[in-house]
Amino acid sequence: MTIIKDMIGNLTHGFRNMCDVWAEEMRRIFHDEGMILFFIVLPLSYPILYSWVYNNEVVRDVPVAVVDDSRSQLSREFIRLCDGTADVEIVGYAADMDEARRMVGEQKVRGIYHIPSDFAIRVNRGEQSPIAVYTDMSLMLNYKAIFQTATSVSTAMNSKIQIKLAGNYTDREDEITTAPLAFHEIAIFNPTGGYGNFILPAVLILILQQVLILGVGLMAGTARENGHYAEYRNMKARGIGTLGTLTGKSLCYFMLFAVICLYLTVIVPRLFSFVSLAQPMDLLAVMLPFVLACIFFAITVSVAVHYRENVLLIVVFTSVPMLFLSGVSWPQSNIPWFWQSISWLIPSTFGIRSFVRMNTMGATLVDCMTECRALWAQVAFYFVTAYIVIKFRQKEYNEK
Amino acid sequence: MKSVIDIALRECGIIRRKPIYWFCVIVFPLLTMLFFTSIMDEGQPEDMPVGVIDLDNSTTSRKLTRLLDAFQTSHVVAHYPNVTEARRAIQRNEIYAYLYIPQHTESNLLASRQPEISFYYSMHSLTAGALLFRDLKTVSTLGSAAVGKATMTAKGMDEDRIMAFLQPITIDLHPIENPWTNYNFYLSAVLVPGVIMLFIFILTPYVLGTELKFGTARELMARAGNNIYVAVAGKLLPYTLGFVSIMMIYLLYVFGALHFPTAGGVGRMLALSFLAVLPSQAFGAFCFGLMPSLRMSMSICSLWAVLSFSIAGNAFPVPAMDAPLQSVSWLFPLRHYFMIYQASVFNDYSLSGVWLNIIVLLMFCLLPLTVLQRMKTTFNTYTYMP
Repeated sequence: MTIIKDMIGNLTHGFRNMCDVWAEEMRRIFHDEGMILFFIVLPLSYPILYSWVYNNEVVRDVPVAVVDDSRSQLSREFIRLCDGTADVEIVGYAADMDEARRMVGEQKVRGIYHIPSDFAIRVNRGEQSPIAVYTDMSLMLNYKAIFQTATSVSTAMNSKIQIKLAGNYTDREDEITTAPLAFHEIAIFNPTGGYGNFILPAVLILILQQVLILGVGLMAGTARENGHYAEYRNMKARGIGTLGTLTGKSLCYFMLFAVICLYLTVIVPRLFSFVSLAQPMDLLAVMLPFVLACIFFAITVSVAVHYRENVLLIVVFTSVPMLFLSGVSWPQSNIPWFWQSISWLIPSTFGIRSFVRMNTMGATLVDCMTECRALWAQVAFYFVTAYIVIKFRQKEYNEK
Repeated sequence: MKSVIDIALRECGIIRRKPIYWFCVIVFPLLTMLFFTSIMDEGQPEDMPVGVIDLDNSTTSRKLTRLLDAFQTSHVVAHYPNVTEARRAIQRNEIYAYLYIPQHTESNLLASRQPEISFYYSMHSLTAGALLFRDLKTVSTLGSAAVGKATMTAKGMDEDRIMAFLQPITIDLHPIENPWTNYNFYLSAVLVPGVIMLFIFILTPYVLGTELKFGTARELMARAGNNIYVAVAGKLLPYTLGFVSIMMIYLLYVFGALHFPTAGGVGRMLALSFLAVLPSQAFGAFCFGLMPSLRMSMSICSLWAVLSFSIAGNAFPVPAMDAPLQSVSWLFPLRHYFMIYQASVFNDYSLSGVWLNIIVLLMFCLLPLTVLQRMKTTFNTYTYMP
């Protein structure tokens, strides 16, 4: 009986210690304007800013110049049809290629359609007749719009020419002549090909991780600069061990970031009507290990912060590479093995992958099992490293 | 001038003692440079996994599959029994797209009953989706054309006439300066300078602010003869040199070793490295002058720098953003860097197209003048508050 009583006593004592640390950490966060900036203002405002930037999703009416040397009914039809598409706008005719090039140089247009003088003659003669498309390659989305518009317009015109030449009797025959094998092209999971729907889910998850690392690093830096030893002296006096400190602190961050995570993964996508197909329980099942992994990862990383401001210097620049490592911009299957293995160390890699798949592609937990397991492995690994970091700090105090 | 050098030497002493400076000026930018250029070394993603649902199992369907596999971008990794399985494979991240060939495709094709095939590509990743769309569309078009070609060959037409019938109007594509549609050229050319500029943005207020933090500001001012111009110029000079050299190393590496296209020439390229470094330093100094709190100015600078990557408009174009954002984009040095880079280095356009961007960058350099007096008061009177 006494053993059980002792155990319960120990447990309640440990629990109380943990809660003490928790409350103290919470108090410290809300007394520091820098912390409020990083833990509250930033995660609330940044997603809105980003969503606004990509709010229009697609590129419309990319300006193009035309050099029409053919001046024929057929060439004008081509130009009219291109202008009529959503993606391209014909903003001007240039007298020759030199003038058109100048228009590109002045940033007035992004590409040139050049229709040679014998364009209509060749078509009517029954020869292949090329239209030259020149595109500025500094922006891939512009290139895509200009090129794909020209291709689809030429395909449509080709069908009309074929029908004329074929001399069929019925409409059905015409259909079969122009497309003996019909095909459907279906974009799934982001059917408009929107840029916001593509990049934003990844950015949201990355914001969560980076904000946590910055915030926790800032706290560690501050503690190291001034109150550091006082903090641990208090704890030692009250008999709070490493485990109590670690769990207490983590619970404090967890409490805050559970709310922020909900805001980022559930509210923001709906605010801006982004695709959001995730099932609540599935989402919870990956976000729980993700937030925990981020917290322990952040505590581990904070060991490198000597002054509070240094955390900005070592953390901020990693955002763009980390976004790349998650396989959003550059396909995961094509990331070299070396960088793949580095990416396994970072929680956002798996957090982003599973969130994108659940949120944008409607995957279920079963489909994201690899990522989920990897996140739990990270939780375990970084828990140990975070424990060591805090133990090390306590030792540092004891020696002073 | 002499006192500027004196202050600069004092700064070098500080740099030597603190490894964080070495990391921010040299190690991290070099790492970032290697990261981006090596991760996209392929130029364009090759052999991305795609699936096939072949319910026809005919010569035609196998030919289409083989053709798809032979393309540079696609690699057929699996066959699925139905659409649901293939869709789930996409959700499990095993493939990015799939081709669906229903039953009786071949027999319908031969009997002129216009069979229909479909391809599904996931646009959750725009790069993979857009590239695979191109391959799948080509395969389907070729499949369609093959029938017409076979019929006409049987009728005794020659190649020229067949092609003229199948494709009367052709598109002759000229992707200027980047015919390989190499993503490395396109992304690394802005992301790496962006990261270097990010370091300049954050490090400049840090360098100035630590004088307050460690209580050495008054000593600095005394050494500069209470001249704030000398003090700031001297303090920032070593970083200007450091960052300009890093920018030049980067430019030499990508244009010299990796052969990124540089139609504009070496002179403009090197001039651009100054236009990247100086305005960013000026912006950082301006922020610090405005908000002498080290933490606030650094936070603002880092938010600004991170936002630059989106608002520079090298991936999603600025003209496609909302109107207010188009105006705001003028406040970001990286935006101007990108505009000048694409006009004068990547392409060989006349500088008159981007003169306004150059002027704005030069005006960024003048920004700190408006707050230097304030900074002087700060250095002479303020004490650091955490």
